[in-house]
Amino acid sequence: MSPNLLLPEETSSQVLRRRLLAGAGTLLLIGTYLVLVITQPTGIAEGLGQGVALVTFVAYLAAAVMLLVAVLPDLPVSTLTLIPVALALNIVLGQFVGSVMVPLYLDSIGTVLVGFLAGRRAGAATGVLSTLIWSLFAPTVLPFAAGAALVGFLAGTAARFGALRRPYLAPVAGAVAGVLVGVVSAPVAAFVFGGTSGVGTGAVVAAFRSMGDSLLSAVTKQALISDPGDKAIVFLIAALLIYALPKRLSGSFDFIRRYRVLGQRGTK
Amino acid sequence: MPKSINLHPFTVLALTAAVVTMTTAAGLWWLSCAVLTACALVAGWTGHLRRLAVLSAAILIPTFASLLLIHGLVSQQASGLIAAAGPFRVTVGGLETTMVLGLRTAVLVVAGLLCTLLINKHQLVAAIDLSPAPPQVGYLLAATLFLVPHMAEKQRAIGQAQALRHMGTGRGLSGWFQRVRLRAVPLVLASLQDAHDRSAHLSARGFPAAGSHTRLRSVADSATQQRVRWISLLCAVLGPIAILAPLWGSQ
Repeated sequence: MSPNLLLPEETSSQVLRRRLLAGAGTLLLIGTYLVLVITQPTGIAEGLGQGVALVTFVAYLAAAVMLLVAVLPDLPVSTLTLIPVALALNIVLGQFVGSVMVPLYLDSIGTVLVGFLAGRRAGAATGVLSTLIWSLFAPTVLPFAAGAALVGFLAGTAARFGALRRPYLAPVAGAVAGVLVGVVSAPVAAFVFGGTSGVGTGAVVAAFRSMGDSLLSAVTKQALISDPGDKAIVFLIAALLIYALPKRLSGSFDFIRRYRVLGQRGTK
Repeated sequence: MPKSINLHPFTVLALTAAVVTMTTAAGLWWLSCAVLTACALVAGWTGHLRRLAVLSAAILIPTFASLLLIHGLVSQQASGLIAAAGPFRVTVGGLETTMVLGLRTAVLVVAGLLCTLLINKHQLVAAIDLSPAPPQVGYLLAATLFLVPHMAEKQRAIGQAQALRHMGTGRGLSGWFQRVRLRAVPLVLASLQDAHDRSAHLSARGFPAAGSHTRLRSVADSATQQRVRWISLLCAVLGPIAILAPLWGSQ
């Protein structure tokens, strides 16, 4: 789609401000993660444990919002109209999967779809927005916004480097993304909520704790068991959905054309 | 019939943020219980008590069960042993940790959900549009809140149509995958096509509009509410620091 002729061009200071904001958000996320992993605070339920919980909550949320504010004005209208569809798909398909008692979340299909179709910045923005809107119905997801942003970012990165050119590459990329997302989200689960919010995942964490693991170590191991499989399935389903799109629709996204995301499949 | 309260959505959000951060920083079981009671009273007064209880229970029951498994049944604390069998160790400290963490999460969940129930979604969208936030945020929130019920309805209609064709009626895991495929593919394709069509119309109308613009819906606000918002935000930021600073000093 051609650029809008009615809107003023961006100034270089606006672009610089957004890049600084994105950099600050990324640094805040990485810094908080490193501090938590290196110091491994104990006594999460008393004294300074409350401070650790608050700082983790606020830092992860603030980093996600900074990334969102930096990315949002950059997105073209075709991507902006895609994001609400992705958010609704996350909720509707997530609820459908949850209602049939299959032990999967599959609540990030929309985020991964946007990452595949519109790139990593759009994917990251969708992840954050999805969490912010879903938090209206489940406030505990709020500090996981950075993890959701990472899912969208990694989906876009995987698509850019050819994960959709062969069907078997998408689940492999999903499994790798699941490892990273699990590792990044574990401190939130451990230090903000004292573990996990599901009985099944809680049992796995309890099993690792009974073997003498620290809370962060047990939650990280549980995340490394759950997340790669879930994300591999999500990436595969999203890839199959994109293969099913008519070429005039998938080809209308600049990201798909510029990086030849679908390879030979997109030109046939 | 639930009552509507005539507060600016940002006032409710700021008050909730202040309550959650200060209660979390304090970490006192009686304060958490007092906040939960206050939330229940406000919900009862506004006619949202039943809905708040159902929504909170759906989140908090699995959370408490998980915390009990992690901290209550396999406690790593040496003292205060109540019972032990194999890998299970129940201690007084472990149960206390479960209660404190559970109450901390309960305050976030109950206060957050009450905030959602009290805020009128249309007022929230209008307030975001009138604020200095990027204009895309208001559009994305409004579009998502409209699309969720619309797509849920479309998904049900697709499911009924597939059932009429006797498709997707298999059992087991393969039947489940077939049902997901038969519902998801038409839903996603139709939704993406709609989004593509919508983007051309929005683009032609100069979206996102820069600068100030007039809205049909106004959001009631007052100087008192603005003061309450500023005080709440200050409490949300400075309150935890004031509560935790003596602890930092002593350690």
